[in-house]
Amino acid sequence: MGLKDIRRSRLGFLRALVIAGRSGRVTRRYPYEEPLVTSDFRGKIDIDETKCIGCGACVNACPPNALELINTRDGYVSLRYFVGRCIFCWRCIDVCPTGAIKGTREFELATNDISDLYDIIVHEPNKCRECGALFSTKRMGEYVVTKSPLAENYVDLDPDCRKSRFLKAIENRFGGRIG
Amino acid sequence: MEIISKYMNNIKAVEPRADIRVAGDTIYATVSHEKLRDLAKTIYWDMNCFFRTCAGSDERSINGFYALYHIFGDDHNGLNIVLKTYADPDKPVIPSIADIVPAADWCEMEAHDLLGIEFSGRRQYRLILPPYWPNDLYPLRKEVSYDVKPQVIVSSEKVGFWGKTSTGVAIPIGPYHPALHEPEYFELYVEGERVVDVRYRGFHVHRGIEKLGESKLTYQQVNFVAERICGICGFEHSVCYAQAIEKAAGIEIPERAKFIRSIVLEVERIHSHLLWIGVAVHLLGYDTGFMHTWRIREHVMVIAEMLTGSRKTYGINLIGGVRKDINEDKKQRVLDVLKAVEKEFTELVKTMVNVPQIMRRLKGTGILSKEDARKLSVVGPTARGSGLDRDIRRDLPYAAYGYVDFNVPVYDDGDNLSRFLVRVDEVYESISIIRQLLDQLPQGPIMIEEFDIPEGRMAVSVVEAPRGEDIHFVITGRGKPYRWKVRAPTYQNIPALRVMLRDQPLADAPLTIASIDPCFSCTDRVLVVDKNGYRKRLDQYCIVGDDMLWV
Repeated sequence: MGLKDIRRSRLGFLRALVIAGRSGRVTRRYPYEEPLVTSDFRGKIDIDETKCIGCGACVNACPPNALELINTRDGYVSLRYFVGRCIFCWRCIDVCPTGAIKGTREFELATNDISDLYDIIVHEPNKCRECGALFSTKRMGEYVVTKSPLAENYVDLDPDCRKSRFLKAIENRFGGRIG
Repeated sequence: MEIISKYMNNIKAVEPRADIRVAGDTIYATVSHEKLRDLAKTIYWDMNCFFRTCAGSDERSINGFYALYHIFGDDHNGLNIVLKTYADPDKPVIPSIADIVPAADWCEMEAHDLLGIEFSGRRQYRLILPPYWPNDLYPLRKEVSYDVKPQVIVSSEKVGFWGKTSTGVAIPIGPYHPALHEPEYFELYVEGERVVDVRYRGFHVHRGIEKLGESKLTYQQVNFVAERICGICGFEHSVCYAQAIEKAAGIEIPERAKFIRSIVLEVERIHSHLLWIGVAVHLLGYDTGFMHTWRIREHVMVIAEMLTGSRKTYGINLIGGVRKDINEDKKQRVLDVLKAVEKEFTELVKTMVNVPQIMRRLKGTGILSKEDARKLSVVGPTARGSGLDRDIRRDLPYAAYGYVDFNVPVYDDGDNLSRFLVRVDEVYESISIIRQLLDQLPQGPIMIEEFDIPEGRMAVSVVEAPRGEDIHFVITGRGKPYRWKVRAPTYQNIPALRVMLRDQPLADAPLTIASIDPCFSCTDRVLVVDKNGYRKRLDQYCIVGDDMLWV
């Protein structure tokens, strides 16, 4: 549409009154009315404590580091979600192997208490049956076994013990010391 | 192809030793220091190419040198020409081409600030880093960690005029734009009501995004960070990045994903143009027009949220495709909204141009001639308003633009009215493009997940954002880009403001500044301190002095 196609008149601008009268009030009486959020809106994520295995797939995918795995002194592993950094991309939902993360339409997240912005899931660590070292999480071990039953033989060994066992097995087979 | 061999012959004629390689629509040539300036002249002026940008790169760990890539674009033939020059690792010096190609001024200074490459034959100053940033710390060098925080004493800076040519009274606009809500600083020098000179100081919000993408993030995470370069045209950046990687790695994404990308890009263009038209008339004091354009825009925002999951920063792009599909129900809703928007927008534009003040203040103000536009390689509606017929969607089709028909509106007057009309027309074109794309939307998957990205490949990707072309240049690395260079459209358009503002009444300045639809934060995307923590005289590194800058 070029300018030439538009008929111009001295009082043409008064049409704004017609437009305004027809469109009426378009703002909502929020928060007394439902906000204008469509069903596809991506909001805060919700992590299901009972399904999370603490594998850290979401931590690797998260672009702004809103999800972090934190090792506490007593060997416990916790997954910490900080809403303040979240960009609501839902990549964590895409990558979660157990479907523990669900998206919500929640966006009214302002608070005067910063602890409201954190979501922490504490995982019990796996304990090595040989050396007693704490590693990974118990749930992760269980998950690995459901995926591959053979893993049951070594799932409660920490990576170091697993390695030395493997080397020992090779030694036995070749009848000599290696490595 | 004929045109490619013509380029090869022309490059060979100037630089017989040039190492030339052609990949798709891009010609790569490695050239020597002596011939760089001659070649730049041949390509920019004789071959009538536009200048896209230049990108410095620290390749000491690969080949032992620094490198500088000058990227030119031949829009008529749909080609990119990349000239690579090596620089000595101990004392990197490269001859400047800024006097031949004025558009190269800023990007040379960017490479100077961030990589420490010296440019011979020009005045050098600090453009990006703050004045108190240490002199020997170059953030994009590979040995510098992404989270380094130098000990600095923060000092304020004053633009002022130390230059010789400026006269008149200084009027500051900024450091925070009152209508565009972004950090920028213009200093207008006026004599009476007439603007005689302009200075710009930007880069207040350099966020070091390129460094982050090259060190901390992984390939797929960069998509989401790229989207946050701009608050209005973020999706263009994420598409541009994803396409650059796909092009470098030779990944062919599903047709349906290409269509969805194009549809969402056009939805973004409509809401961006409606936003701009609203702000423009608001600056002219016509707030009725402002309110109603934004009321119409709201419908577009709602369909954007419905199609992607978010009103802005859509987050649906990944390398390999998109994450969200469009079903029949959504398709119908988009068509319904577009029909309503088209009708209401037409009515509103008709009303607006009948407001006498609007027309009088748009017509004949902020003129940018075709010659100046060409010299500065301006982009987007700023170029099309000055008679330059360039649009990447048509000239180097990407995503699904090859499947649709559309016009590229071009106006020759170069004034604010021309730029206004270009945007009005583009809203209609975008509506038509979305309709065509939804009509032809192919079936199939929207994403491929299995692919690998080989190391050491490079690609230039260009995407037409509402403000002009976005350029992403990547060199692939292990698990993340080795070099990721971003150029936002406003980067190329701000220098043109000086031409537009000069000899105009002061009252027209706010509209003229807004008429390029500036996006200051995008321009700044890329990270300034004196070694001793003291502020030096600003003319040593700021945008002062006229010899080379801004023509």
